[in-house]
Amino acid sequence: MLSFHLAGINNQNFLMRDDQTGTFWQQISGRAISGPLEGSQLELVYSDELTFGLWRDEQPKGTVLKPIAKYSAGYEAKDWDTRMSKVRTVLGFPHTGLQSRDLVLGIEASGTSRAYPIERILFGKLLEDRVGSQPILIVLGPDERSIRVFKAPAQAGATVSEFYRTVGHVAPDAELKAATNGALFMDSATGSEWNFSGCAVSGKMKGTCLPVVSAFKDYWFDWRNYHPETTIFRH
Amino acid sequence: MPVDATSRTVRFLALGAAALALISLACFAFPLYVIRPFRHQGSTELAVALFVKQIGPWVGICCVALVSVLAILSWPRIRGWVPRSLMIFTVALTIGGAYLSRLNVYELMFHPIGEPQFQTSQEASIDKDDMVIAVRLGGLSRAYPVREMAYHHIVNDTVGAEPIVATY
Repeated sequence: MLSFHLAGINNQNFLMRDDQTGTFWQQISGRAISGPLEGSQLELVYSDELTFGLWRDEQPKGTVLKPIAKYSAGYEAKDWDTRMSKVRTVLGFPHTGLQSRDLVLGIEASGTSRAYPIERILFGKLLEDRVGSQPILIVLGPDERSIRVFKAPAQAGATVSEFYRTVGHVAPDAELKAATNGALFMDSATGSEWNFSGCAVSGKMKGTCLPVVSAFKDYWFDWRNYHPETTIFRH
Repeated sequence: MPVDATSRTVRFLALGAAALALISLACFAFPLYVIRPFRHQGSTELAVALFVKQIGPWVGICCVALVSVLAILSWPRIRGWVPRSLMIFTVALTIGGAYLSRLNVYELMFHPIGEPQFQTSQEASIDKDDMVIAVRLGGLSRAYPVREMAYHHIVNDTVGAEPIVATY
């Protein structure tokens, strides 16, 4: 079993080393790039990036990492991502239509990479698309900040079922609590309503859940650096 | 022994010591120069720097051992406090390089979290709009707050008997 420590940086994405062999691993890809285990690949664990409020409502028995008092002065302030968006980068990809520090949701499926500008997701709230041959749904949570990606159900025939978001602007707390287990979007093919966990809460598909798809929230320069053939969602 | 041969020997020993000091310093300085934040790393120079980082601690020890031998051999032949101070300084530089090549500056900037501790959602004093990275493994749910992860960067953890490393 390997354990890891921070060891360096490669074009603004950090490098770590395992304590057992001293091999260097790239954070964003989980790939060993130098050392005895060079070429090995860490297995990705599915994770969500959610607001604490939404996660707490979905997983009331979950546990949270404790802060370490003597280091907490170094923890980021609330506005860290606003300040970070102004920090310069060492890589740029001009003529791609995106700035280095633009935030994207990066998805890899069926051998293809695709980047979805976060702004577009926040505006659209529900996006239907394909990554390679894989139909996907990108859904903005009822907190208007958390994002999940699901495999859209396979349909017989050429058309993919259309999905519609059903929750409008959500008032705080009580409604949010109700909405997290309640309907967030519906599909035209079966008339089922689905919640933010991707499970149908009513209709023909009630009780079934859509498979989740791993997605990475990343800066455009970093996503593009590790996925040179990536396409960009521009609708 | 003829004076010429002695001074040639001393010169050879001194140059050897200087070379060892430079090699020892390069073992830490070269990777530190290449692997810097806000600097573009080319793939070849990065590969070389990572290789140097891996062999550096051992090369450093060898340099210290060798320079000590050279210092001992040359000591009776060195006259005057200036040359002797220079030899001591050269040995010190070699030791310094070997020590620094074992230093991890990144962990000095971002202290590791060590054994992670956890609390319930009720105990956690996090704002509801702060982001967390959430996983579910073996029926257990765990959340890693982004503002804390942005400092520690790495948390070695076991969730539901599954060893994982959370990174941000």
